[in-house]
Amino acid sequence: MDVTPGSLPNRWRRIRQRLGRFWAPYRSVPMLGWLVAALVAVLLEQSLGLPLARGLGLVRIPALFGVAIILDAPILFPAVLAYVLLIYLIPIALVARYTAPLANRMARWLTSYPMVVGALVHLLILYGVLHIWTGVSDYRLLVARFTMIAIIATLSLNVVNGYMGEFSCSHPGFMALGAYTASVFNILLFVSDNRFGEALLPPVLGPFLFPFSLILGGLVAAAGALLVAIPSFRTRGDYLAIISLAFMFIVKSLFENLEVVGGARGLSNQPNYSTLPVVFVWTVLSIWIINNFVRSTVGKALNAVRDGELAASAMTVDTRKTKMTAFLFAAFWAGVSGGLFAHVIRYINPDTFGIRKLAEVLAMVYLGGLNSVVGSMVGAVGLSLISEALRPLEIYKWIIIPIILILTMIFRPSGMVAFREFDVGAILQPKDEPEKDVDYAAA
Amino acid sequence: MRKEKTDMSKRLWSFLVLVVWVLAACVQPIQPTIKIGINAPLTGDIPKVGEGTKFAAELWLEEIGGAITVGGQEYQVELVIEDNESKGESAAAVNTKLITQDEVLVIVGPQASKQAVPAGGVANDLETPMISPWSTNPNTTLNRPWVFRTPFLDPFQGPVVANFVTEEFGFTKAGVLYDIASDYPKGLAEFFKSAWEELHGEGSVVSFESFTTGDTDFSAQLTKIAEAGAEFIFAPQYYNEVPLIVQQAHELGFTGPIVGSDSWGSAELVNLCGEDCYGAFFSTHYAAEGATGATKEFIDKYNAKYGYVPDDVAALTWDSLNIVKTAIEDCGQITGDIKADRKCVRDAMANLKQFPGITGNMTFTEDGDPIKCAVIVRISEEGKFTFYKQICP
Repeated sequence: MDVTPGSLPNRWRRIRQRLGRFWAPYRSVPMLGWLVAALVAVLLEQSLGLPLARGLGLVRIPALFGVAIILDAPILFPAVLAYVLLIYLIPIALVARYTAPLANRMARWLTSYPMVVGALVHLLILYGVLHIWTGVSDYRLLVARFTMIAIIATLSLNVVNGYMGEFSCSHPGFMALGAYTASVFNILLFVSDNRFGEALLPPVLGPFLFPFSLILGGLVAAAGALLVAIPSFRTRGDYLAIISLAFMFIVKSLFENLEVVGGARGLSNQPNYSTLPVVFVWTVLSIWIINNFVRSTVGKALNAVRDGELAASAMTVDTRKTKMTAFLFAAFWAGVSGGLFAHVIRYINPDTFGIRKLAEVLAMVYLGGLNSVVGSMVGAVGLSLISEALRPLEIYKWIIIPIILILTMIFRPSGMVAFREFDVGAILQPKDEPEKDVDYAAA
Repeated sequence: MRKEKTDMSKRLWSFLVLVVWVLAACVQPIQPTIKIGINAPLTGDIPKVGEGTKFAAELWLEEIGGAITVGGQEYQVELVIEDNESKGESAAAVNTKLITQDEVLVIVGPQASKQAVPAGGVANDLETPMISPWSTNPNTTLNRPWVFRTPFLDPFQGPVVANFVTEEFGFTKAGVLYDIASDYPKGLAEFFKSAWEELHGEGSVVSFESFTTGDTDFSAQLTKIAEAGAEFIFAPQYYNEVPLIVQQAHELGFTGPIVGSDSWGSAELVNLCGEDCYGAFFSTHYAAEGATGATKEFIDKYNAKYGYVPDDVAALTWDSLNIVKTAIEDCGQITGDIKADRKCVRDAMANLKQFPGITGNMTFTEDGDPIKCAVIVRISEEGKFTFYKQICP
């Protein structure tokens, strides 16, 4: 293929070259360096954010990097841009670049310990960043918690729709089962209200038993998944989609008719147990467990089933058992995410777990990328933040988001980061050794 | 060497230009303003409700001249209208944003209970007064001293309809058709049933039929109701389902009256229903046709500006905003300390007595629910909502 100079592909290449050159010093920054840089940025924001924002003419610190402000009042664009540059981009770039050798040494030192230690150090810093960032406003805190819950839900759906290659529509149903189970458990035991009467246990115990209520919610969701799996896994193709869709509606009408949990009026009064650390820990747990699951033998078998059930079966894979396990496993995590969700919003209503929720989670899975843990995280975080930031656009938001989805489907049909392994070891590695594929100029 | 130097100075210059540009854009005079947050479903399932809210709020702002005078000083009023997509979690997020980012003094909305219950929790936790113009779920205001509402509750509306039908027609056998999957129709249907059976004895609701949101064929339920010998049908449904129910009832030969609730009060109803709905009755917050005084003024202004007669959502939003305005004025002063001001507005709101709204006079109970009168509306032969009767508790 010959390319004349100045033609589009050529120009593209030159832009990429230039970007590559700019990016070159940052290629040796390890994850640890980025995290420390982010920590510096949020600390900077905590101490200097408000005076700087005031100085720039903003009333207060922009909530989500100022996108909402720009959409509301375009005149403030330079101020917001300056704020983001001064607080986030420039400090992160400087710190990451100039502490890279130190960070690499630290990272290498950490690799001499078991990987768990390194991972925990990284997670602690990450939590610190989140904690300080959300400490600035309650709005950030709420958005961060919803986003992390979206990650769990998206990951669990990706196990079925991505790794297993079936199309499941019952995730809102599983979330509802988890949400209602956990809510009833906690309200019954730790809250005195007019529906379930006096608290059965002292409320002090509540936060400690919260994990049990979530696991219980997950198990109930898995039991519900069994009801879908038994009839539908005897069939092939679209039947799971239809049966699981039916299941979602069944769960929804079940709760609408269960007067004891509030019926269509919904259930409120959940105690405030889904705090940031709790949601963070559960999100990390879910990522870790799901990632291990999909990379395990069962996960490989699952991929084999997706690519050719007959072939997999011929290669001694117990296809039915594999599919069953994966489906129940996914439902469990959907239930957990539902339980967390119920305790963030502290009011649930059968209508919340309907077709709109399904569309939301599906969009996150397909935007982020099938068959990829990183993809699910990208999709969940991306879509949550986009839809929060674009809120001022009102009706136009529902034109822009679908267009983003359509463009993704056209240019990256399997999602942003599809079919990529999430390798914790590789992420934690120091980056100062010359890599083999540094030939970015020719890329 | 020299080239590098010019590069440096170029960079320095561009940086300076950036700084000046930024500073120039940012110099804004700071004026004392009162911010009022509006949490409305501009997109999602009920955009018409969101539109009514927005229009009423904008009209109100125009009406007060964009300012409120408190303690002799004039404060500019700024409305911060945010979209909650008619989702519960979004409504909670919007309220959090309005309270912590925009630092509004008080919030009007959200409208539907599904959003108002979680949003009310946020407002109460963050100690910001909120008034929902439309929500009827008891949980919205229950045990939440910071949350108020403008509409009457369903436990009041159910008996109103039961009493009205008994006095007006002398019927004893009722048929009810309602949506079991939606909290408002379900709650109201049950309150009506208990009120009716209290009046006419056990079994006087001869048929209590339900369907699910999105159903369009009600012939099975309507046939059952007719066969059970119901003299009238109570259908506490939203305006998009009422026409189907009424038309199908008439097609099946049901001749008795069909009575509705405040959810019928949308301008769309008659457009969709046509002649089938003429002569029907429903209980509501206000009647557009035959309205007098302030109510008529509001309707005329709204109609002139937006080209249609406002729904009850718009009227209730209008009232909510006026309640907010009165409460702010009653407060006596704006200290600038947002926490103290919010507390002051809340207390002033709780102490309002016989507030004269266009949907009736209101006094708030301990829970923040209003005590007010209901209106019975008859849809006239011209398809207009005409005032028929007022019923007070």
